[in-house]
Amino acid sequence: MLGQTLGAALAPRSQWRSSAGEFVRTRGSLVALILLVVSFTAANPSFLTIANIHSIADAAAIVAIVAVGQTFVILLGAIDLSVEGVMALSAVATSLLVANDRNGVNLGLFAIPAVLALGATMGVAAGVANTRMRIPSFMATLGLWAIGIGLGTVLFGGRPPVIEQQNFLNIGLGHWLGFTKISYIALGVVLFAWFLQRYTRFGRYAYVIGGAEDVARLSGINVAKYKVLIFTFSGTMFALASILATSELGVGDVRTGTGYLFSSITAVVVGGTLLSGGRGGVVQSMIGALIIAVIANGMVLVGISPLAQQGVQGGIILIAVALTGWPARRRLRVIK
Amino acid sequence: MRAMTVTQRMRRFVGAAAGFALVALALAVAGTSAPAKHRATASPAAKCNASNIRLVDSIRSLSNPYHAVWSSGSKGYVKSLGLPSKNYQLLLNEGDSAKQVAQVRTLLATGNDACTAISVDPNENSVTETIAKLVQKSGAWVTIYWNKNPGLLPWKGYSHWVSFIGFDGRIGGYQIAKELFKAMGNKGNIVAIQGLLDNVPAQQRFAGLKKALAETPGVKMLDQQTANWDRTQALTLTKTFLAKYPGKINGVWAANDNMALGALQALKAAGLAGKVPVVGIDAVPEALQDIHTGDVGYVATVASDAYWQGGAGLSLGYQAMMGKLKPNSLPHSKRAFYAKTILITKQNVGTFIAPAKPAAYKADWANPFKRFVSPITR
Repeated sequence: MLGQTLGAALAPRSQWRSSAGEFVRTRGSLVALILLVVSFTAANPSFLTIANIHSIADAAAIVAIVAVGQTFVILLGAIDLSVEGVMALSAVATSLLVANDRNGVNLGLFAIPAVLALGATMGVAAGVANTRMRIPSFMATLGLWAIGIGLGTVLFGGRPPVIEQQNFLNIGLGHWLGFTKISYIALGVVLFAWFLQRYTRFGRYAYVIGGAEDVARLSGINVAKYKVLIFTFSGTMFALASILATSELGVGDVRTGTGYLFSSITAVVVGGTLLSGGRGGVVQSMIGALIIAVIANGMVLVGISPLAQQGVQGGIILIAVALTGWPARRRLRVIK
Repeated sequence: MRAMTVTQRMRRFVGAAAGFALVALALAVAGTSAPAKHRATASPAAKCNASNIRLVDSIRSLSNPYHAVWSSGSKGYVKSLGLPSKNYQLLLNEGDSAKQVAQVRTLLATGNDACTAISVDPNENSVTETIAKLVQKSGAWVTIYWNKNPGLLPWKGYSHWVSFIGFDGRIGGYQIAKELFKAMGNKGNIVAIQGLLDNVPAQQRFAGLKKALAETPGVKMLDQQTANWDRTQALTLTKTFLAKYPGKINGVWAANDNMALGALQALKAAGLAGKVPVVGIDAVPEALQDIHTGDVGYVATVASDAYWQGGAGLSLGYQAMMGKLKPNSLPHSKRAFYAKTILITKQNVGTFIAPAKPAAYKADWANPFKRFVSPITR
């Protein structure tokens, strides 16, 4: 399947490259990131220590994975609000499928593909609801959010199942060269998604559909199919993020996904992907995730009072978005 | 061809939807007319028995251990009264304050209110007054926990609000701090993880920590931040602290167990678990287990005893409805008070790990005032 799409997608590559706007936007968010790093380092030199860089990469990792899933959906001009629901269900399901203190089921590390499949199923449901039942993605995924939380709560049964499988916990606790294993996994996910975005129909059509859905349909693209595929991908990414968060926390908690919806959309937008669809990409979203992690980390290192933090954070995010969009502000279409 | 089938399917769907709407309408009509009859028979002298008593919890969610234990305490209490479980109702609002109020409103519109006792954990201060007013108007009975605005007190116009019960966070925050310092040999540096900054319990617990710090000159607080009661946020925050103060942190004080457990995961990842002691509040099962095992450095927690809360809240309302307790003739100290909390350390953790037994709570449910610690006067 991949090979086939790959072959077909490689042809119009050079044409794609000429779209320099893409590059400009990447640089916008990168400039914002560098400015933040420079200012925080000026305020507290220990910001740029190796230990702190490890800590930032780790803090950005899971947000980046969620943001990667979200990016393709937003490229479509749609949105996936099911993040916290898929993550809640996946977290509890993961903890119940590995060795735990609740039941005798023990799939070992095979729990991971099982839960990824669960996330993918939630994504298929969102995609089908959106394309076949004609429910706007906003509403369809909002429903799945609630369903996910509901199913998660039922499985959870009052107290979080504690994970007893050491090799699973080692994913979340382990390090390679100082960076957490999760950081490497996130980087791998970003590279894989970048490949999808650039060299396969899956990614290319996301731009086409998001840019002008009618044109895409008229030119013979099976829009519904690609939409379902993209929601499936995003559901899988949310499940992956949840599996990693669960291995870090050591328990299957319904609230595992709390906050990731907001931070993933922020990462995507700060990165420079347009909410109206058609422009942006996963590398920008990764930079967006890093920006969010740098801000949160920098606040603590600089020692801003916890009372003022949220306000300051909002202000910095607005400035970062403005910086990101600045080089391309003339090209941007109508801002709604 | 395909378009045809789609239209047909659409038609069938619309038909089904219309049918469903009709049924729903019929149910709604039936639902609104029935309680009107109930109402008419609910005279002040109404006799409350198994056929019309409703014992109701309005709490956040069963997705956290605290409220799950709370609800099982309530069920244990209802059972101990010899009532069937259908007399117990659980209203879950999932953290949505507007939903919490709407649920109580619906409840009070659909039954014999004089035989209804509600036990409420309000999501936020502002919910409390609204619910107290609704209950007062309907003639039901209510016990409210944790949150209320200063100045709002049961004896100021609420004869059906039996009691307000809080737990003094200053005591718990102080006690766990002292245990933490003891584990550190009363010297070294700590970091503190706060709860939601505008929450009264969060502020009180932190005040307790500050009192303990003032008494212990050898211990210094390097930093304090909020993780909003959240485990994941506490995990990330602790990693940041460890990067900011490498090798300098000797203890972690967290305002609840959830965040302490998040901090503990960060310590585990850094290979510091067992070397840097951790404390929290709430006595969630995992924290108890860690204190019991004793190898990861979890030193202490504090229980407000959710199992007792579940039963005690319903008990006060039940006794008022049966006429055994007249709220207006109770002294103020019984209408608003801080109840007992229990410090749990390695010494006494054994008795808290086993699931609670209703029999052991019978006396403390029958007379919730047994757990009085100090009055709330504002």
